[in-house]
Amino acid sequence: MLMQTELVWLLGAVAKGDAAAFERLYEATRAKLYGVLLRILGRPALAEEVMQETYLKVWKMADHFDPAIASPITWMVAIARNRAIDIARKRGDVSIEDEPEALEVASEAPPPLARREMTEELKRLLSCLGKLDPEKQRIVLLAYYSGWSRDQLAQKLDIPVNTIKTWLRRSLLEIRECMGSRA
Amino acid sequence: MYDDDRDALAAEYVLGTLSTDERDQAEALLAIDPGFAEIVRVWERRLGELNVMVEAVEPPAEVWEKIRTEIGSAGPRSAAVAETGLLATVEAAPQTVSFTAPDIAAAMTPESAPVAQFELAPEPELDLPPEPASDLAAQLPQDFDTPVPQDLDETSPVAALASSLLPPELEAPSETPLPPGPSSPMMPPQTKRSADVVYLERGVRRWRGTTVAMGAIAALLAVYIAVAQFAPGLIPLSRQPQPVIATRTQPPGARLVAALQQDPTSPAFFLTVDPQSRTLTVRRVSATPEAGRSYELWLISSKYPNPRSLGLVGDEEFTARPLPANFDVDTVRAASYAISLEPAGGSSTGVPTGPVLFTGKLVESLPGSPS
Repeated sequence: MLMQTELVWLLGAVAKGDAAAFERLYEATRAKLYGVLLRILGRPALAEEVMQETYLKVWKMADHFDPAIASPITWMVAIARNRAIDIARKRGDVSIEDEPEALEVASEAPPPLARREMTEELKRLLSCLGKLDPEKQRIVLLAYYSGWSRDQLAQKLDIPVNTIKTWLRRSLLEIRECMGSRA
Repeated sequence: MYDDDRDALAAEYVLGTLSTDERDQAEALLAIDPGFAEIVRVWERRLGELNVMVEAVEPPAEVWEKIRTEIGSAGPRSAAVAETGLLATVEAAPQTVSFTAPDIAAAMTPESAPVAQFELAPEPELDLPPEPASDLAAQLPQDFDTPVPQDLDETSPVAALASSLLPPELEAPSETPLPPGPSSPMMPPQTKRSADVVYLERGVRRWRGTTVAMGAIAALLAVYIAVAQFAPGLIPLSRQPQPVIATRTQPPGARLVAALQQDPTSPAFFLTVDPQSRTLTVRRVSATPEAGRSYELWLISSKYPNPRSLGLVGDEEFTARPLPANFDVDTVRAASYAISLEPAGGSSTGVPTGPVLFTGKLVESLPGSPS
């Protein structure tokens, strides 16, 4: 288990060219990033490709990491997601049948969240999300976790694209205001 | 409003829902507008919290091989990196602080206590409704409409929604099993654990930025120990039991943990104090205790003329014991803590005789009610 401060330290070491620290950083973060990428890209081969690109970027840009604004894992995940979304968009909007059935619920398994740790900031975010309409919550979460575009969201949820656009903008604004300017 | 527009653009960029043209626009803006870049980072961090709930999946081993090859051909990174960002904070030289025994109580004032901060992240287990959210639309509005003081109740429906959008968690090695605490039996998964971590440092040093406001009571800082967040295996301690602390019915306010660290290159001790079960646990992250020496933990409070020993920190990774009965909860909360290096077996005088290596104040954090 690595905690925040250790990851920050590792990134600092990586910024100085420490290859051993980089390997430790990889070991500590690879599964999380890979999980995120699989969610968005769906295909392991693609996810692996983006993993490589991501970690290479981390290696090169570690000196740009600013602990004042970012946490190591969200910084790295952002790099990974950006690339994944780029690729997903280039693939074009996939039809409903090809997409994973994200809206279906695993009925037997207990809610995964029960076994997870929640950070204070996550709780705040979820609390703010909870103030949105259920439909809006859903599109925000689908967009984040699955990387769906507006068109895909519109198609899947059977809502006009312009409505999706309006809802997203409004929802994000409300989240920001709920969380306060310092969050 | 221009700022709202920029913020909306940044938010949707991070979310990923911009059209291709808008995305290009955002990326161009990122390159030329540092203010915009900062807003993007804020959104990345804010929304990035959602990743906590994504299941970790081990990638194939070849991925690392390819990365390593690419790193090799990319050449070693230049050691002469600009003093920006992380390095400036990492290398800010800490003052070397050593206390003699009579100085300790005087030195433990809020002003002199070293400060560093990070995110706070307690480790609660959510008591989610047991039935799966098969009909989310029906479930959500009920909880949504009734405001509940418990922040966890507010987050539960959303959390249930979020977790319903994620496949069930794989029975992966990244699970950290809940172990029995020092004085309690094995807790069921629904039991809430609570811990706040305080980051204690030698000397005075400040990380740049990132203070998380903690509410009226909290004065300083917190560092969160992310327990099952990342792949294990790197440090064997990831499998170690964590102390199980409060149950969900307890008022969420009482959570105290301290992280004791010498400097960024030296791994930490973590001190967890649970005032409710009256246990303390010290976890050693680094491996080697000094031969012939012992670490001793001290409680420092204005109530007492001298530091009070809380016992030795053992050689094993976890040292857990009950809090001495004569400390009341308020004292425990307000106290400062220190670890000194004593002869084997501890100080024979009842006060620290060796160098005090780690000092800091416990911080009490409020539960995550949205402020």
